[in-house]
Amino acid sequence: MRAWLLRRIAAGLAIVFVTVSLTFVAVHLAPGRPFLPPDERPLNPEVVARLQHRFGLDQPLGVQYVRYFGALARGEMGESFSKRRPVAQLIAGAVPNTLLLTFAALVIDFTLGILIGLFQAARARRRSDVALANVTLFFYSLPTFWLALVLQLVCGLWLGWFPTAGTTDPALHASLPLLGRLGDRLYHLVLPALTLGLVGAGGTARFQRAALLEALGHDYVRTARAKGLAEPAVLVRHAWRDALLPVISLAGVALPFLLTGAVLIETVFSWPGLGKLATDAISARDYPLVLGTTLLATCAVVLGSLIADLLTAAADPRVRLTA
Amino acid sequence: MNPALAVSRRAVAWLPVALLAFTGCGGRGGCTNEYCGTVVFAASAEPTSLLPAVSTMAGERDVFDQIFLKLAQIGPDGATFGDSSFTPELARSWEWTDPLTLTFHLDPRARWQDGPPVTAADVAFTFDAYRDTLVGSQDRTALDHIASVAATDSETVIFKFRDRYPEMFYDATYHMRILPAHLLRDVPRATWQTAPFGRAPVGAGPYRLTSWTPGQSIELAADSAYFLGRPHLRRLIWRIAGNLNNSVTMVLSGEADAVEVLVTPANIAKAKADTALALYPYAGSTYNFVRFNMRANGDRSKPHPLFADPQMRRALVLGADRPQMVEAVFSGHAKIPPGPMPQLWSWLWRSKLTPAPFDTLEAARLLRGRHPSFHLAVPSSSPTRMQYAQLLQEQYRRLGVTVVIDQVDNATFQQLLESGKFDATLESIQTDPTPSSSVAALWGRTGPTNWGHYANDRFDALVRTASAALTRDAAQAAWESAFDALAQDPPCIILYALDNIAAVNHRVADVRIQPDSWWGLVRTWRIPPNQLIERDRAGR
Repeated sequence: MRAWLLRRIAAGLAIVFVTVSLTFVAVHLAPGRPFLPPDERPLNPEVVARLQHRFGLDQPLGVQYVRYFGALARGEMGESFSKRRPVAQLIAGAVPNTLLLTFAALVIDFTLGILIGLFQAARARRRSDVALANVTLFFYSLPTFWLALVLQLVCGLWLGWFPTAGTTDPALHASLPLLGRLGDRLYHLVLPALTLGLVGAGGTARFQRAALLEALGHDYVRTARAKGLAEPAVLVRHAWRDALLPVISLAGVALPFLLTGAVLIETVFSWPGLGKLATDAISARDYPLVLGTTLLATCAVVLGSLIADLLTAAADPRVRLTA
Repeated sequence: MNPALAVSRRAVAWLPVALLAFTGCGGRGGCTNEYCGTVVFAASAEPTSLLPAVSTMAGERDVFDQIFLKLAQIGPDGATFGDSSFTPELARSWEWTDPLTLTFHLDPRARWQDGPPVTAADVAFTFDAYRDTLVGSQDRTALDHIASVAATDSETVIFKFRDRYPEMFYDATYHMRILPAHLLRDVPRATWQTAPFGRAPVGAGPYRLTSWTPGQSIELAADSAYFLGRPHLRRLIWRIAGNLNNSVTMVLSGEADAVEVLVTPANIAKAKADTALALYPYAGSTYNFVRFNMRANGDRSKPHPLFADPQMRRALVLGADRPQMVEAVFSGHAKIPPGPMPQLWSWLWRSKLTPAPFDTLEAARLLRGRHPSFHLAVPSSSPTRMQYAQLLQEQYRRLGVTVVIDQVDNATFQQLLESGKFDATLESIQTDPTPSSSVAALWGRTGPTNWGHYANDRFDALVRTASAALTRDAAQAAWESAFDALAQDPPCIILYALDNIAAVNHRVADVRIQPDSWWGLVRTWRIPPNQLIERDRAGR
């Protein structure tokens, strides 16, 4: 187990190093430059030159690469060109927002998805199963940004049920008591989390249904039924536990997908998370911020898959983690 | 809005209200008077720094113009000649000691938000900082005509100019926001671009910064003891929307009170249909054009095979049906400028200049049977410019001219410009209130942003004459001649200048928009007590 863990950590570190190195080269070689003229007001070339010197961009690429990784080894992620703040500070501000959003989306995704999958499997090939299969397929096929725009338009703009942007109401939030601040945050979370969660739930439900139907065909289920157990108990206590394993693996894989989806959702709902930070950084050619967000996303994916493997091992005694 | 939806919206309005009631609504402290208003602005972009000397964006200017003051403010007519239209801000009065010496007397009531009085030494320090290449101010070269700024006592400061010209007072007052020397003197100039002061500024203006949540909002609070009169609005909040569409959505949903420009006919129609909003048109400071590269694409040593020929450029100008394009893209919410100018330069716009006509016969004659082909670079961030590019492509196709549209992101677009790797670009430019700075910079032979390497000695001479003309009439005549010279040998196709329209919630009264600084007059806005809502009554 320990050897397996050490090997996975070493492999993870190598993946992170290679990804960040490739990103470093790619962003520097990509067309375009940082310090864009804002608002259609051309920047004086003298000002651009001063900024390039200030941020070390007048140095050869190799020197910049060595400096970047040297700083990273000291725990410094550099200073954002476009936001003029330390990258670590910007990421630290954005991560809780993205975690909140993806966690809420994950809860909606898996709660809805598993429940629908269970319901469908229990009523396999009946009319309700077919209807739900179509509904889940519809949500699964939806582009996330499209659903976001529709929910924003209908539930935000037309009906006025939920806010269309931001994580809180900046005019009211600070004056609310603790419970009110929590409510304000949840109120703003509804539309972005629902968008991300609904699309994911479509896929999870289909996955859960298929896994359950497969499990229901196994001998131990037949044995359970032969023992005289009630059908809900057979379904939930026996078949579902077995069918949960692939869904747990899916949770680990779902993280990168959720992070990718969050990029679009955060842009549509002006949600100041990691995805929005990354897209802003890319369009501004803010190299340190692009690298910082890439570093974090890579670490999250590597860690996510490690945790998924550990969970699978915990849930299934047949799986042994060996080097 | 659809009435049925409006009813539905009212019916569910209990949701946030219930939330606040349930949680005790901690902010309901009872601010109910004339000075309670909170206005939330939807901002398309987040400021980088609120230190004016290193600022480069209009979005930053909107915020720091509430925190910092100039010596004098440009008048409502936007006139930049002489000093008669300017209104006092930090300077109580001024006089010309001789034609090259301008003396300001500071208002003794002015104080920095951390307590000390604003002094003449602060003004001298500010000039020195703006001129310092280490600071890298965008406005450094705009102060080239000023030889020195010196304090004679704590309230008197003297500006010495190198030469005499009509916009001396404008240059002395427009570009610089006076900075607190006692807080910035010890900050190394080379670090001002990233200085913490830019995130926690201290000025002498009507509002002070109370919070800045990165990526989300910036909040300012009114200084009730502000020496030029207590602002009516208690709080100003900028919500960072990230783009124009999100900004407009915020205002339409009531989550923000104001957006400075709606741009597209669709946004204007939505805002018009919303009974909660009032629209405020004002003169815009941008214009849009197709720039020709006079040098070969990617090789500045050679002339461009097409655009080095003035007849080719003129043919393309005449072959563009600009009235049709303005109607198709903006439904009449934009105008065709008579020269390279925004609507803000109204005195020049009203001159005898006229836009080049749409004349396909003359265009075909100038093309002399040639069927040229060129690439037109367009920034992907601008759907309206993309629409224009497609319309141009179709119009030129009928003339036998092939246009290949290269849609690129902003960063790449800027790099293409600077490296000269383009045939033509579709650009938008934001200008100062006067043509003196931007015209020469864009189209002058040595202009720093003359990316197309346009060279026209007659035009350059006329621009110099216009910039030095001592009366408005003489300047107007000289600018007309300069733009006429430009029309004969066009470096670009002038396409459109937007009708800027701001949308502000009806509950806000006395709204006035300042064309060169949209929210510059916000301290005179107010929300009557009978229009206050929860966000006005709440507070820190």
